[in-house]
Amino acid sequence: MSEQILVSTRKGLFALERANGAWHVASKSFLGDNIALALADPRDGSWYAALDLGHFGAKLQRSTDHGRTWSECAVPAYSPDDTVITGDGKPPQPATLRLIWSLEAGAASQPGRLWAGTIPGGLFRSDDFGASWQLMRSLWERPARGEWFGGGYDAPGIHTICVDPRNPKCVRIAVSTGGVWRSDDDGESWSQTANGMRAEYMPEGRQSEPNAQDVHRMVQCRAAPDRFWVQHHNGVFRSDASADDWREIANVSPSVFGFAVAVHPRDPDRAWFVPATKDQHRIPVNGEVVVARTRDGGKNFDVLREGLPQQDAYDLVYRHALAIDASGDKLAFGSTTGGLWTTDDQGDRWQALDARLPPVHAVTFAGG
Amino acid sequence: MARVVLASALSRWLPEASGKPTGEVALEVEGASVGEVLDGLFARHPNLRGYVVDEQGAVRHHVAVFVDGDAIRDKRNLAQPLGERAEVYVMQALSGG
Repeated sequence: MSEQILVSTRKGLFALERANGAWHVASKSFLGDNIALALADPRDGSWYAALDLGHFGAKLQRSTDHGRTWSECAVPAYSPDDTVITGDGKPPQPATLRLIWSLEAGAASQPGRLWAGTIPGGLFRSDDFGASWQLMRSLWERPARGEWFGGGYDAPGIHTICVDPRNPKCVRIAVSTGGVWRSDDDGESWSQTANGMRAEYMPEGRQSEPNAQDVHRMVQCRAAPDRFWVQHHNGVFRSDASADDWREIANVSPSVFGFAVAVHPRDPDRAWFVPATKDQHRIPVNGEVVVARTRDGGKNFDVLREGLPQQDAYDLVYRHALAIDASGDKLAFGSTTGGLWTTDDQGDRWQALDARLPPVHAVTFAGG
Repeated sequence: MARVVLASALSRWLPEASGKPTGEVALEVEGASVGEVLDGLFARHPNLRGYVVDEQGAVRHHVAVFVDGDAIRDKRNLAQPLGERAEVYVMQALSGG
């Protein structure tokens, strides 16, 4: 199977393939249904689709034949006594699964291991390909969890899970809004590590609280796993210390606001962002879709625009909608207005997909 | 014995429908209350439970259950008794775009 791109949209899951150099829609699954995100499991080639059925709740489906057929998995579930408590004054609510907001595979040595991050803030683990799920109570029951709050949703959520390529028992997660957390023992114990981040939206005196940081997305360099990049609500941050402390990268052009970030799999100094104007104006700066790229760890940024719409474009790119492939040369991103662009040369030139897709929630490369 | 009717938006998620469009599905289910009838439905079609109720047992916010033409009185407490030959209609609340 050649390389594919899975595009999760408001109205279905689209699998793109390549013919004569150009990507095209090769197959569609769940047409008409809301797909939050997809995972292409590198261990066995299976695909997972997280559905967000407005009426019937969050669901998970698995395909072992590249989307021809699907079967339903279990979903993470909260217990009757579980309560969502937030730090922004909302009354406590019974905890129910609202959304599977992140889904990652374990290591090759852990067949069947999946991690799922959810709204309202629970992290779940499966060791049977999603047939059953276990809430990581050690994190859920931390008093600090009650200080998290929703960023764009009513309840907080875990949108990023990084399984360390050196040691799969080391797992880091990022929370909107609740900073960055690390476990070194398969999720049995946790510590907060968003040290050095800055939350402009918090009252003075609380801006440097790690647990108040609204991380939008976090990525880890596969070949240099001590290096992390974060797109945060009010800036870009970099860690050279295994995500244990962070420093701000303030010179991202044309803006430090955005949701998505990608890092090169081998070169930790290469990272990509898709900036928007600012939090109150979530549209491209000047109506021009651009990608910001650094190749020197954030000292300088290129503003990439060749092949991207440069007039009256109001595409926003969500946190899971920018992807890089295993080679580090190909990237793809999709927008809230259904645009999708790909590059083969790390972003120097982009090609638009010849399709008018539904709003794009997530993009990921599969196979190869 | 109640007659349970699943709207097509719900019945398409029965495993045999594989997500494809299908029509309304009607079943005869034993039970003296809304909760008992729904439990009987879920015993026959286990995957439907998560579509109709959340993990705390409440009928989902955007799912509507009608008994003999009237919406159930309490989506959290499903003890509402049913008459003989009641019709229980399970449908999606109307919303979307």
